[in-house]
Amino acid sequence: MNRRDYLLRKLALALVTLAVVVVLNFILFRVLPGDPIRSVIGRNVRISQDTQAALRAQFGLDKPVFPDQFFDTLGQWARGNLGISWSLRQPVAEVLAAKLGNTLLLIGLGQVLSIVFGVLLGLVAGWKRKTSLDVCALTFSLVAWAIPTFWLGIILLAAGSSWLGLPTGGIVSPANAGKPLYQVLPDVARHLILPTLTLTILYLGEYMLIMRSSILEVLSEDYILTARAKGMSDWQVLRKHALKNAMLPLVTMIALNLGFTVSGAIYVETVFSYDGLGKLFQTALAKQDYPLLQGAFLLLAISVIVANMLADILYTYLDPRVKAV
Amino acid sequence: MKRILFVLTILSLALSACGGGAAKPTAAPVVLHIGWLGKPDTLNPAYAFLTESTTIFDLTYNALVTEGPDGKYVGSLAKEWKHSDDGLVWTFTLRDGLKWHNGEALTAEEVAWSIRAPMENPDGWATNSSYVIGFQEVKALDDKTVQITLENPVGNMEYRVSFLYALYRKDFEGFTTPEDLQNFNNFNLIGTGPFKLQNFDKEKGILVLAANPDYFEGRPNVDQVIFQTFENSDAMVQALKVGDIDMMNEVPSSAFETVKGFENVKAIASASRGLAELIINSAPATNDPAPIRNAALEDPQVRLALATAINKKDLVEVVLQGLGAPAATIIPPVLGGGFWHNPIKDVDFDLQKAAQILEAAGYTLGADGVRAKGDIRLEFRLQFASDSSNYPRVADLLTGWFKEIGVKTTPQAVDPDSLTAAITPTADYDLVIWGWTSDPDPDFMLSVMTTDQFVEGGWSDSGYSNPEYDALYLQQQVTLDPAERQKIVWQMQEMVFNDRPYIVLYYDASTQSYRSDRFTGFIESPLGLEAAISLRSVKPVK
Repeated sequence: MNRRDYLLRKLALALVTLAVVVVLNFILFRVLPGDPIRSVIGRNVRISQDTQAALRAQFGLDKPVFPDQFFDTLGQWARGNLGISWSLRQPVAEVLAAKLGNTLLLIGLGQVLSIVFGVLLGLVAGWKRKTSLDVCALTFSLVAWAIPTFWLGIILLAAGSSWLGLPTGGIVSPANAGKPLYQVLPDVARHLILPTLTLTILYLGEYMLIMRSSILEVLSEDYILTARAKGMSDWQVLRKHALKNAMLPLVTMIALNLGFTVSGAIYVETVFSYDGLGKLFQTALAKQDYPLLQGAFLLLAISVIVANMLADILYTYLDPRVKAV
Repeated sequence: MKRILFVLTILSLALSACGGGAAKPTAAPVVLHIGWLGKPDTLNPAYAFLTESTTIFDLTYNALVTEGPDGKYVGSLAKEWKHSDDGLVWTFTLRDGLKWHNGEALTAEEVAWSIRAPMENPDGWATNSSYVIGFQEVKALDDKTVQITLENPVGNMEYRVSFLYALYRKDFEGFTTPEDLQNFNNFNLIGTGPFKLQNFDKEKGILVLAANPDYFEGRPNVDQVIFQTFENSDAMVQALKVGDIDMMNEVPSSAFETVKGFENVKAIASASRGLAELIINSAPATNDPAPIRNAALEDPQVRLALATAINKKDLVEVVLQGLGAPAATIIPPVLGGGFWHNPIKDVDFDLQKAAQILEAAGYTLGADGVRAKGDIRLEFRLQFASDSSNYPRVADLLTGWFKEIGVKTTPQAVDPDSLTAAITPTADYDLVIWGWTSDPDPDFMLSVMTTDQFVEGGWSDSGYSNPEYDALYLQQQVTLDPAERQKIVWQMQEMVFNDRPYIVLYYDASTQSYRSDRFTGFIESPLGLEAAISLRSVKPVK
């Protein structure tokens, strides 16, 4: 099978997965107990039963779930319209787009940094196995991996705001509210330091551990011995033979993590009052805001599927065996 | 690690230098920076359900009258008002020189239109259509006079009118469907209030208000008020400590002592309108569907025993860290107008007596420590709403006390939606711990106990049904004389207290704090430090 056929098959599979996810999402949220109208209006207001009935009719909740609500939703989506959020009263696509940018900025930065430092640290630790450097790096990674997210976040927040004067939350200072982010980059960067640091430390451990065990496995292979026997330098062995093979499990890991990037880092977003997708998912669920939930989970499904496809494509370059399957 | 810290320091210093430089305006305005744990769901009064929205409306809009710090209603847009002897015609006279934020003069016709809008389109004006129920006609008699004609007398007219803001007609009259009206976000809010909306960046959780120099009761002392949303109360406490914010409108009770200890910070605990209660399934046996519950709960003696076995003082000390008060009735004392029923004598906490009550009622202690009378064992489900961090501890304490008198309860956390579904329409529960935040007027809390409200979409969660109570509820709605109405409201509280569909546990306190080294002049009242009257008077410390 050549690369094109392989990719086409993957693409077809991805589309089937997406269709299944769409249907599942539709059913899943509607079998939850409770009344979306009550969730939207909360418990402390005096909304009469008539008004609740009017809202129910407006949202189409007075019609049967199947076929009416189901085909209404599909019809809307087919026209490229994700609907209007019941709780926020803004178009779902607009809300998602606004938060997607914020989330990608934060998590993307955290991921890139943790991948770079995690891979380097894992590489060095694996190469210098059983030295004190290895032990230190290993301990640090295990600890970093095990720390509860919100705890690390709140400690860094307290330290950073007390001693370094860093902001305690948000994405820009109030004075810069309403301006596009690119116009106030220094301010955004200041707000990003602590959450990014938290995320980097958290992911770093995971990447380091994977990279270390992977490189150890590769280094014990016969072809490494052969390479050394050919008289290659350490660096050449590492770069030409070890690294590429050791990267395979890491690519899987990165692809999986990046896919879920879009779901946001709910703890980090909460600690630093960062307006991202994670918080949005949480509120959408709490409010039983079907249009928002469906849109959000569609976005999540697409990003996981795309990330996995990218990993599959990368495999074809990293590992020739894949194409032969 | 040291090096990392060093690099970070340099980086942050460099960034703060350029960040600060860009933000600093020429003449330093006085900015009051408030942190809160939410944000308005919308600035459109037709579809705003969160209290944060009401807070902003209070600062930017005016109604004819408004609630004062003592719970009495005072004139706002109206200078004076009177009603006919039968209470059916209310006439409001506007102040002179009222102006919109854009400088245009406000007319009585615009005020009348704002009240007519929810009458004519109740489906669209979801938030305030309930305030105009029974309004027959609203018109402007001249430029300064608004007249409201009612179908029946309304006992809490001032309260109702205080939520009917004067709205800028051009912004709201063009919508044809309820949906279009509700989708309008009103980001360029034009009102008459002491503050003008300068910017609401909903995504970033920042709302900026500027002083209205032409405000009819005088310009506020601060130039700007910024509301910043925090998702996390610990971060907000830290922000107050380092001075990122000047005031926070909700201190978590676990952090209250810590905040009190901060230098230059004043922390205030004051009575609030929140309460927590133990709900007892009281749905009538004739309810459709038939209630599913332990039959022992229908026995008044069992209810009395449960009430006697609850140490409300301990609840306040342990759960609220002393920030609250033991409660007996569904109306919180902080409501103005003397509606709280003071003479109700709560049952004293006495485990021995509680056990005796059960013994006398025929419930004898079994070998497993649980009392029973025939087939009826005193074993109840004790569910609590998972939306409060207090309820799990309340459930633990109650379970401990109940165990001592031979009553077994099994606590279970349930999310509010599932809990609502279990209560109505299915009536499938025994005991539930939950809470309410009362309205400034007792009407809403009283309505929760009426028979009509125990349907899907209604607010009753006890299923209490008492025709006499229902009749009194309707009567207090049309009683104009405050003393007369108070009497009825007291009588209703007594009924609920004696029949015990609720055992009311405690009244919450609201906790707020501010930087006393920077600002002074806040007005402490049940309205909160962020109420318009308080933020108008607050001024910087010189």
